[in-house]
Amino acid sequence: MPADPLDALRLPIVPVEPRPEFTEALLRRIQAVDPSERRTTPTIRYFVTDLDAAVEFYCQHLDFQLELRPNPVFAMLYRGDLRLLLSVPGLHPGGHALSDGTLPTPGGWNRALLQVANLDATIQSLRRARVHFRDDQPSGVAVRQVLLEDPSGNPIELFEPASGYHERSR
Amino acid sequence: MPAPSDPVLAIYRAALPHVYGYLLPRCGSAALAEDLTSETFLAAVNASRQGSLSEVNTAWLVGVARHKLVDHWRRREREQRSLAAAEASVAEVDDPWDEWLDAEAAFAILALLPATQRAALTLRYLDGLPVATVAEHLGRTVHGTETLLARSRAALRRHYEEGHHHAG
Repeated sequence: MPADPLDALRLPIVPVEPRPEFTEALLRRIQAVDPSERRTTPTIRYFVTDLDAAVEFYCQHLDFQLELRPNPVFAMLYRGDLRLLLSVPGLHPGGHALSDGTLPTPGGWNRALLQVANLDATIQSLRRARVHFRDDQPSGVAVRQVLLEDPSGNPIELFEPASGYHERSR
Repeated sequence: MPAPSDPVLAIYRAALPHVYGYLLPRCGSAALAEDLTSETFLAAVNASRQGSLSEVNTAWLVGVARHKLVDHWRRREREQRSLAAAEASVAEVDDPWDEWLDAEAAFAILALLPATQRAALTLRYLDGLPVATVAEHLGRTVHGTETLLARSRAALRRHYEEGHHHAG
């Protein structure tokens, strides 16, 4: 096979010292991290059958960012302060099998709720991307909401506040 | 406050030039490189405090930096235009490309490409990662990544040849 001309773009890592002011400021920020802060991170776990498809779905369509993917059966994603754990069920370590061999399965009706700024625009965008909706007609009490599914069939509710919406003030 | 024995703090000064040195030439902006360097170390120290790390070293931190760079490009892509429109606008054909490549010119062209294409080419060629690893970073399937790489190469080539044509 002939050499790929783009191999000429290979760029080794050459250490570069940042500005001293930046170096010291970042050190102070790291030292100030409160160890208790992230231990209360709201976290949900979804079981998925295809981890590749699930990571792509949540990152491409729902603004999640991939944080860790240490093995083929687990990934950790973030959307703001919300942490989403994706696990492939099975008898392997981390597969969440019960002692009697029962395996978790994706799907059901309990779901994560994600607030979006413009529900109608989001629905249109997701329709164009051929995302599967269980219900794409906005409805609800004090919110407008729709229900979609990830590639494994897990439901995700998208909503935007409407008249009467309440949330505890921070 | 992190304990003095915190593994990220322990290697901070030694690892910082490597993380910054990885990010700076790839994002092309000192301000952005500083932002992403900060995100990298803050994510690392948070992970460390959760006890989810077995070992922290410079190579792992560079890997975190790579994630942060890809996240940045993903956000940028979303801001610029929809992914579908960006990909649909580029021909899928990736002709054999045997000519010698001026790397400096190609680096400059990378900055002109849509963020997702820039991310794919950077991970595959500047970082020398296998396609499967690039796919993992981009949150795509291997097949989808191969398609994206082919489109990105075609876009790079088109800009490159147009540039040389105009230069001539």
